Amino acid sequence: MNSSTKRPPALSRRSLIAGLGAAAPLALLAGCGGSSGSDPSATLYTWISNENDRAQWQAFIDAATEADPEFELALEGPSFEDYWTKVKTRMSSGDAPALLTTQAARAQELDALLAPLDDLAQAAGIDLAEYNEAMIGGMTVDGTVRAIPYDAEPMVLFYNRALFADGGLEVPGATYTMDQFLDNAKSLTSGDSYGLAISAGLVHLGMSIGFANGGTPVTDGALSLTDPKIIEGLQFGFDLVTEHQVAKAPAAVDSEPAAQQELMNGNVAMYLDGPWMYQAYADALGEDLGVAIVPSESGEAKGLIQGSGFGIASNAKDPEAAFASIMAITTPEVIGAVAHSRGTFPSIVSQEEKWAEGKPEGNVAAVQALAQNGAPLITTPTWNEVGSQFSQYATEGFQGSRSAEEILGEIQAAVG
Amino acid sequence: MAATVAPAPTGAVPAPRTRSSTGGPGRRRGGWPAALYLSPGMLGFAVFIVVPLLVSLVISFYDWPLFGAPEFVGLDNYRYMLAGDPAFWLSLRNTLIFAVLYTAVNLMVALGLSYWLMNLGGRWAAFFRVLFFIPVVTPMIGNALIFRLMLNDDGVINQMLAALGIPGPQWLNTPGWAMLSLVMMSLWQGMGYNIIVLGAGIAGISPSVLEASRIDGAGPVNRFFRVVFPMLSPTIFFCTIMTVIGAFKVFAQPYALTEGGPGNATNTLVLHLYRNGFSFDRLGYASALAWVLFVLVMLITALQFSQQKRWVSYDS
Repeated sequence: MNSSTKRPPALSRRSLIAGLGAAAPLALLAGCGGSSGSDPSATLYTWISNENDRAQWQAFIDAATEADPEFELALEGPSFEDYWTKVKTRMSSGDAPALLTTQAARAQELDALLAPLDDLAQAAGIDLAEYNEAMIGGMTVDGTVRAIPYDAEPMVLFYNRALFADGGLEVPGATYTMDQFLDNAKSLTSGDSYGLAISAGLVHLGMSIGFANGGTPVTDGALSLTDPKIIEGLQFGFDLVTEHQVAKAPAAVDSEPAAQQELMNGNVAMYLDGPWMYQAYADALGEDLGVAIVPSESGEAKGLIQGSGFGIASNAKDPEAAFASIMAITTPEVIGAVAHSRGTFPSIVSQEEKWAEGKPEGNVAAVQALAQNGAPLITTPTWNEVGSQFSQYATEGFQGSRSAEEILGEIQAAVG
Repeated sequence: MAATVAPAPTGAVPAPRTRSSTGGPGRRRGGWPAALYLSPGMLGFAVFIVVPLLVSLVISFYDWPLFGAPEFVGLDNYRYMLAGDPAFWLSLRNTLIFAVLYTAVNLMVALGLSYWLMNLGGRWAAFFRVLFFIPVVTPMIGNALIFRLMLNDDGVINQMLAALGIPGPQWLNTPGWAMLSLVMMSLWQGMGYNIIVLGAGIAGISPSVLEASRIDGAGPVNRFFRVVFPMLSPTIFFCTIMTVIGAFKVFAQPYALTEGGPGNATNTLVLHLYRNGFSFDRLGYASALAWVLFVLVMLITALQFSQQKRWVSYDS
């Protein structure tokens, strides 16, 4: 640069604004690093798909705040579908929340993320036996409890009382055989109107029936998808579509919302789902909503219990403080309050009365029969892969081009 | 080369700059400013392309979960891919079928439509160009959801076919139809881009050349194959390269339409890669799949470049 070279002019206003404009997005990006600025021990990472989810978590906070006005808990998280992927990356960050939610069925998959709670519970004088035994079993990984369950929800058969009455059929209840179920489904099917709706997910009708008949998809921590009872249960589900034609073949993708809508619109008489959907179905069907047990060969109730709970991140810096937050939202009073306001079936027996308030006696009896005679769905760390592969193959089962034995055998061989 | 350029005498009228003079001392003098101007782009390229590419190569030699400590496994991920994962070969086969069908139909129809638009001319041609291009700028996932509703067993398409007395197939629930549905949806979405590019290429052909061929007695078919096609071949070559690369990266269509089913009938390489990385917690294996895909696309593109002399004419 020689002396004749012009000095660069001072920054003009335009340059300054342009520079600031360029810097602003960077600053915004830097601010999107995931840090909420909240105390990790008082931050819960959970699924928040919609306002309904947020209201449920808020119900826990509100109930806990009634007992302790100083109690604070911040919420953070993606939609339910994204949660199972994002929770692993979020928990890897330096400012990760210390609390997280898990389903019992996913506790094995999130093994590395969840800290054992037994010693913390013992030190705090908490009796874990107070909670639903099946759910504590579901939350146990490698012999240690990883989350405190807040609900214990057996899969149940929802039905439309009005359609049963129109068909001149006796409504099912706390006992229900597969033969009765099939007869009812046939009676309730006419023309384009089907007796029941089916979704293509793995843990639905077929799996619940196989489970009720004594089958189990996981034995001693290993996949046992080829358990004869599980195969029979899933084949029974396929046959309802292909052989008996009492249900429409579910769509290849996202079949569950469509099936739920069929029940809510009164287009079908029956659909198998979890009690967490009770309030939504009650809002749609009113007094016509009935609940029965999952049909089985013997007609006796045996529930496939699913549910969720709160755990502590394995890399939490202050596990004691995090555990104190969990205990504040899993007291019997809080769980009862949420069961009453949000309709989740509680994980503590003493709170079932609060859940039952305002519900028809028969519906309550069916859910309780399944909950009391149920077992948790215990899975493997590869369960996500199992579910994903089943979604791909299920349409072939519902078309009758492949049997449940072939499909489950192939998945077992590929993943097991 | 720089030594052959004599410095201009001070005060003399500078000689006209020749091609060789731009590569000599002038180039060296412009080195730093050029580097400065290039640096933002090169920095972005390095940070967002080169570094992730190299890191993914390293990850492919590990069993790398989303959470927890990775474990070095050497070539195990590649061994499992080639000898232990049946879904890899199925997804590779599906990707190849999709790429061939999609590329061939896309180019043929896009070429035909752009030739038709050239002959149509005027406002209608402009209207149709916009119409064909609209799907390109709409979100793929939204389009896929609409197509899913239309192609359901009792969706709009089958209802229309039923009204005509034709029993519609199970578009998304039978293997052959499901693949065809993916191709149809992708064509609808992606063809507009090639129509615009090929249209621009056709517009660049000198009208006098076309007029001369007319005077010489060439009919529309002869004119297309003997005049338009050779002169358009560089543009067609560009479209082929881009379309093949895009076809190998197909993901959103099977993800939203079929989830890879029925069975593995529409499971593609990128869908298989995504699932392994983000659903099945196997980032190492997903990285290995990504590298195989990268090498595969690179080889196919190199093959296309090596064969272009046979049919691409750069004589204007």
